[in-house]
Amino acid sequence: MTAVIVKALADLRRRRLQAGVIFVTVLLSIAAGTMAVTLMSQTRDPYQAAFQAQKGAHLQVAYKAGTDPRLLSTTPAAIGATAFGGPYPVSTIQFKFKEQKFFVDAVGRDNPLGDVEVLNITSGRWAQANDEIVLTRSFADLHGISIGDRVKVTSVAQTPLLSVVGEVVDIDEGSADLSSQRAWVQAAAIPSLTSPDSSYYLMDYRFAADPTRAQLQGYTDRLRAALPAGSITGSLNYILIRNIFNITNQILTGVLSAFSIFALAATLAIVATLVTGIVISAYREIGIMKAIGFMPAEVVGVFALQIVIPALAACMLGIPLGTIVSQPLLANSSHALGLSYTPSFSIGMDLMILAAGLLVVAIAATLPALRAGLLKPIAAIAKASAPRGAGGRLLRTSAARAHLPRPVVLGIGDALARPLRAVLTLVTVLLGVATVVVAVGLPRSFLLINNSATGAGNYQVVVTRTSAYPDSEVMRVLKAQPETARVVAIGGQNITVPGVLDPVNTRLYRGDSSRLGFLVIAGRWFSAPGEVLAPAALLRDAHLKIGDSFTGSTDGQVLQLRVVGETYDINNFGHSLFMDLATMASTKPAIEPYMYDVTLASGADVAAYVHRVAAVQPDLIDVHASDTSIITPVQIIDLVLLVIAGVLALIGIGGVFNTLLLNTRERIRDTATLKALGMSPRQVMAMVTASAAFLALIGGVVAMPVGLYLHHVLNDVISNSAGNDTPPAAYAVFNAYELVLIPLLAVAVASVAALVPGRWAARTNVVEVLHAE
Amino acid sequence: MIDLVRLTDVNKVYQGGITGALNGVSISVEKGEFAAIMGPSGSGKSTMLNLIAGLDRPTSGTITVGGTDLAKLSEGGLARFRRDTIGFVFQFFYLLSNLTALENVLIPAQLKGGDAKAHARDLLDKLGIKEVADKYPARLSGGQQQRVAIARALINNPMLLLADEPTGALDTHSGDQVMELLGGLHRDGQTILLVTHDAKLATRNAARVLSVVDGRIVDDARLESPERAASEVIRVRSEETSR
Amino acid sequence: MSLKYGVLGLLKGEPLHGYEVKNRFEAMLGGTWEVNIGQIYTTLQRLERDGLVKPVGQRGDRRKLQYELSDAGQKALDQWLAQPDSGPQQLHEDIYVKLLLATRIANGDLQPMLARQKRTYLQRLRDLNRLEERARHDGRIDLARLVRGALLHTEADLKWMDELSSERFGAEEAE
Repeated sequence: MTAVIVKALADLRRRRLQAGVIFVTVLLSIAAGTMAVTLMSQTRDPYQAAFQAQKGAHLQVAYKAGTDPRLLSTTPAAIGATAFGGPYPVSTIQFKFKEQKFFVDAVGRDNPLGDVEVLNITSGRWAQANDEIVLTRSFADLHGISIGDRVKVTSVAQTPLLSVVGEVVDIDEGSADLSSQRAWVQAAAIPSLTSPDSSYYLMDYRFAADPTRAQLQGYTDRLRAALPAGSITGSLNYILIRNIFNITNQILTGVLSAFSIFALAATLAIVATLVTGIVISAYREIGIMKAIGFMPAEVVGVFALQIVIPALAACMLGIPLGTIVSQPLLANSSHALGLSYTPSFSIGMDLMILAAGLLVVAIAATLPALRAGLLKPIAAIAKASAPRGAGGRLLRTSAARAHLPRPVVLGIGDALARPLRAVLTLVTVLLGVATVVVAVGLPRSFLLINNSATGAGNYQVVVTRTSAYPDSEVMRVLKAQPETARVVAIGGQNITVPGVLDPVNTRLYRGDSSRLGFLVIAGRWFSAPGEVLAPAALLRDAHLKIGDSFTGSTDGQVLQLRVVGETYDINNFGHSLFMDLATMASTKPAIEPYMYDVTLASGADVAAYVHRVAAVQPDLIDVHASDTSIITPVQIIDLVLLVIAGVLALIGIGGVFNTLLLNTRERIRDTATLKALGMSPRQVMAMVTASAAFLALIGGVVAMPVGLYLHHVLNDVISNSAGNDTPPAAYAVFNAYELVLIPLLAVAVASVAALVPGRWAARTNVVEVLHAE
Repeated sequence: MIDLVRLTDVNKVYQGGITGALNGVSISVEKGEFAAIMGPSGSGKSTMLNLIAGLDRPTSGTITVGGTDLAKLSEGGLARFRRDTIGFVFQFFYLLSNLTALENVLIPAQLKGGDAKAHARDLLDKLGIKEVADKYPARLSGGQQQRVAIARALINNPMLLLADEPTGALDTHSGDQVMELLGGLHRDGQTILLVTHDAKLATRNAARVLSVVDGRIVDDARLESPERAASEVIRVRSEETSR
Repeated sequence: MSLKYGVLGLLKGEPLHGYEVKNRFEAMLGGTWEVNIGQIYTTLQRLERDGLVKPVGQRGDRRKLQYELSDAGQKALDQWLAQPDSGPQQLHEDIYVKLLLATRIANGDLQPMLARQKRTYLQRLRDLNRLEERARHDGRIDLARLVRGALLHTEADLKWMDELSSERFGAEEAE
């Protein structure tokens, strides 16, 4: 055994460069893998922990303002809830802090504790007087509101001032930049904050065990049956909330695990290539080792150890690195839930990753090394190096026919001289380039979807009004501005759709909504009352397809609706409807829009416009430029993709580099012969570079469809996880020239990687090599 | 007549005890000569050939080939010099194993940037191996491989053909054939420098034998080639006649 | 000795008279051994005396008298062919004696003598090469084999010269 280790260490010293390649590639792939595994193991835990600790509600139902509270108090028993909270009076209010205005749902609740939905006060205290308000921590953090600040409620004519006295974590909500937020006041304060049509009752229900989606559906059906028609205006279930909360980490985990498998595969390809190469070049040495008494298993051990030692070093560094890098992502989710952050890693899991990583690397190293173990000593000593095939003839002939210079033709031939090695190298290149394609494409798809959701390029200004300021006034003010090119007014309403658990968030448009930039995936945009569009999830859950008609209901009134198209909605997990305001007006004439997407004439000064319109009515309307920035989770995913692409590109380069190193070393005698025949150093460089460029070109060309396919699949997975189909435009985010450019870039990078082995080959000392026979 | 090759006081010192050093070698070879360089292994005969081919540079002294001072050439210049001026035949053939015989022959022409397929086929024909043109070296006998290597050395019509133990890895018969071939080339006007330790083969064609011992030229023998009667060369005697 | 068996060998094929024996013998040796007719007659007479050959036909003009192999001659020839060459190594050339003398006379400085001798051997190799070539050209493979033997001997002589002139050998001498 000592002899095996001594020999392995001696060989390692001799093959430092290759040990370096192994170290770097294993480091990168094991770090990515550790990140994926760490995230995966933690993703579900924090939410579950917070849900249990805060006795989260399994179901929350909003009831129409006029509903009898006594009737509501009978509902828990009706559906077998083991605990409940409420009814809490809720009013949607707008308040102003500094120059910004915000909408929140103000919940009238006297006590943060209770049997359901315990609110975790992270700072300050609960509201005790009518002029006090409690905000969510993420909302306060995002907008820079601190305890002691005063906010002015602008949605009621009296514009009362409220003091912020506490911050809480509400597990029902995502972070403030993604979703609307609640605030809490004393129940007695609600009436003074209520404007017409903006209040409702909220009930929280908790059951003995986590109910299934079907059970939840059953509960809401029973509630509907027990109460007057139209009593239920909205509901929210814990499964949806948990999904919202987890979606970013799930996508991240998915992306990371998929690509860390890529990274590992590429690394294994390099390991196998390297060991095969070492065995080939050490043919005679193997014979000598055997002749002096190494057992076959010991010979295999020598070669496997040369890989396992640098791999072990890489793991020792890579596993902690992966664990550390995943901490911010984990801390992020803990923080959002108000859980105290504790560095989350498990020694046991890390050891398992170490063991698994080493095992896989060892297997990849041992399989090709077995060849060395089985070699007959005499045969091995007799042959200086392993026999080689006459591969790539067809290719060489066609390359020659294409009148490529001879060094280039020779280089291309060399690239394929060992078919297995060529294939393994192509795999590493392919994985690297494909990942780069994904990393280039997905952020663009995200951007496209983000732009459609934020109206980038279609409207520039968003105005919201409070009920104290009538729709007609807003329209008059906007129309009066010379830059106003188009105004689309938007209202909202929840509509109950048969077969769908929670009432569906519905957006109602007045004006030319077809030009707001919504992505129509199939069918068309609505053009007449009664026509609706919905994302994939709603169509699926309600068993609808384009052309189908269905009956929705709101406030106890029925609506005849017909699906004319499928659209994309980044919110609500695909449970939303889009229709003309007029559709609703037929059953509910009082409904009015509260938001206005304003398109300005080209070249208009958006800031000046916002400033001017805001000045017309400082309290009752909110005017701001449309925020088209990319939401944080997407930014994180983009960043992770970029890093992963970098990792795989590096591994790909490592693969090419490693193969070139092996090829040039094995072919040193041929190179020396060519130099003797008059090949100039520059031609030698050209030959080696051509080898690399060819591999990169083939790998790159094959990688393009693979990358595009992956981009397609990931788009689908991500869209589907948010309840949507992928808009066709999100697939087609590549320009034709990029499809050519990316493989060419791979060629360029590989050519640079070829410089070191190329120079090495160009400097071959002919006399030494040819006379060392 | 201008000397094709001229070595003037050439020294070559190797670091680390590598044999083959040269010690003040001065020789000249005329166009059309067939000269053999002989000497024991490690005497420096291969070193001379490598220096003349521009594969290595002397420690001191000057080497001119075809009027060109090799010291004035860069690495790239030496490569061009080798491919345009020199044909080199090695003991172990050094054919590229993944190229066919014809492709091997074509390489120097292609490195130069031309197409010489017809010439290559002519050469293979002339060397009696046209049937192996599309075969890979592994399929050829040693003698065939060496003839392919000779064709490769001749493809660019080199001014000087250098052969380093061209028969060293061949059996007697194949070796004879290869020497025959070199003799034929010489008769057609090719200047040849042959390194060998086989005096029988050297004297068959070479009219000049340079003997190298320990890096020095110890003898420069120019041999005559008159027609001699057998009895002037060999006398079979017996005890009977002397009795 | 070999002339006797050479004649026996030639007569094994067919009866020959003296001149035919001379011509055939010389042709066989390819000019490497010239004999006069007197030697041939003497040899034939001795062979007849020993009962190894016998005349064919009438004894008259000795130039026309043909001889053929007797049974005893056949047996003697077979014995001779079957018997390996033995006896001491033959060193005919003067160089051996010169070498011995030169170490005594020329203060051990053999180099000039060796160099001259070496050149002679080189020239001889070249001549032998041409001879072999000619023999092959004439279809005389047997003769070419004989020349080949001479070539290898000369090569050995040349190697001997090299060994003598190498410094290592000289150093041993000086001790």
